[in-house]
Amino acid sequence: MATIKTRPEGTRRRAPARAPRAGWSWIATTLTGIGLLILLTVHMVANHFVVASVGGLRSYRQILEYIANPAIFTIEAIFLLFVTVHAMLGLRGVLLDLDPSPRVQRWIDAGLVALGLLTLAYGYFLIGTLASRA
Amino acid sequence: MNDVPGADRRAERGPVLRKGVGIPASGWFDPRGRALGGFAFSLNRVTGLGLVFYLYLHLGVLSLLLGGERSWSDFLRLATSWAFLSLDILLIFGILYHGLNGIRVALVGSGLVADRQRALWWSLGVIGTIALIAATLHIYGSK
Repeated sequence: MATIKTRPEGTRRRAPARAPRAGWSWIATTLTGIGLLILLTVHMVANHFVVASVGGLRSYRQILEYIANPAIFTIEAIFLLFVTVHAMLGLRGVLLDLDPSPRVQRWIDAGLVALGLLTLAYGYFLIGTLASRA
Repeated sequence: MNDVPGADRRAERGPVLRKGVGIPASGWFDPRGRALGGFAFSLNRVTGLGLVFYLYLHLGVLSLLLGGERSWSDFLRLATSWAFLSLDILLIFGILYHGLNGIRVALVGSGLVADRQRALWWSLGVIGTIALIAATLHIYGSK
C-alpha cells in the first residue's frame, strides 16, 4: 500500500495532544485509583494470601486480632475512604453519561454524597466495633 | 481564549459523543462493533459496577462478624466451598481488569503515553492473566 510522507525528513514524531479531561472528577478518580492499587494490594495480601487457613480466610479470633492492630486499623480505614470515594465517583460518571438535566444532576450528586457518607459511617462502625472486641 | 473547535458548545445539553468507529447508539454497555478502546471502556464500566456491588456485599458479609464467632464459622463453611471459591476468582478477574485498565487510562488520559493505548492494553493484559492464574492456583490450592 502506498503511503504519503507528511512529516519532514529528519524530524521526530510529535506526541499527540492530551486527551480531554473531565476536570476535578477525573483527577480525583485517578488519584484514589492510584491509592487503591497500593491499599487493595495490601488488603488482599494481608487478608487472603498470607493466612494459613482454608480458602485464605481468617477465623473470627484471627480477624479481631488483625483489625485491632493500630497500623492495620489505620490502613483499613484509609482503604475504606479511598474505595468509597472512588466508587461514588465511578457511579457518578455512569449516571452523568445518561445526560441528566442540571436539576437531576444536583440530585445525583447529593444522593451519592449521602450514600458515600452512610457507607463510611457503617464501615467505620464495623471495624471500630470489631477492633474493640479484641 | 476560545480557540478550541466546538468549545462554545460544550455547555449545551445533548448526547455524549465519543471518538471511534461504530459506537452503537445503544450506549457504552453494548460492545458490538467497537474498536479496542471502546471494548476496554465498556468492560471497565461493567467490572466497576460489579465491584461497587461487591463492596456492599462485602460489608454485608463482614456484618456477620457482629453476630459473633458462631455466625462467622457458619459462613466460613459456605465460603470455602468450590462454588464460592470460583466466585472469588471472578472477583479477582474484575479487580485485576479494572485496576490494570485504570493504570492504562491514567497513563493515556494524562498524556504521558497517549499514543500507546493498544500496546498498554495488551501488555497489562498479559500481566493480569499471569496474576489471575497465580491467584487461581493459590485459591484452589488452599482448598
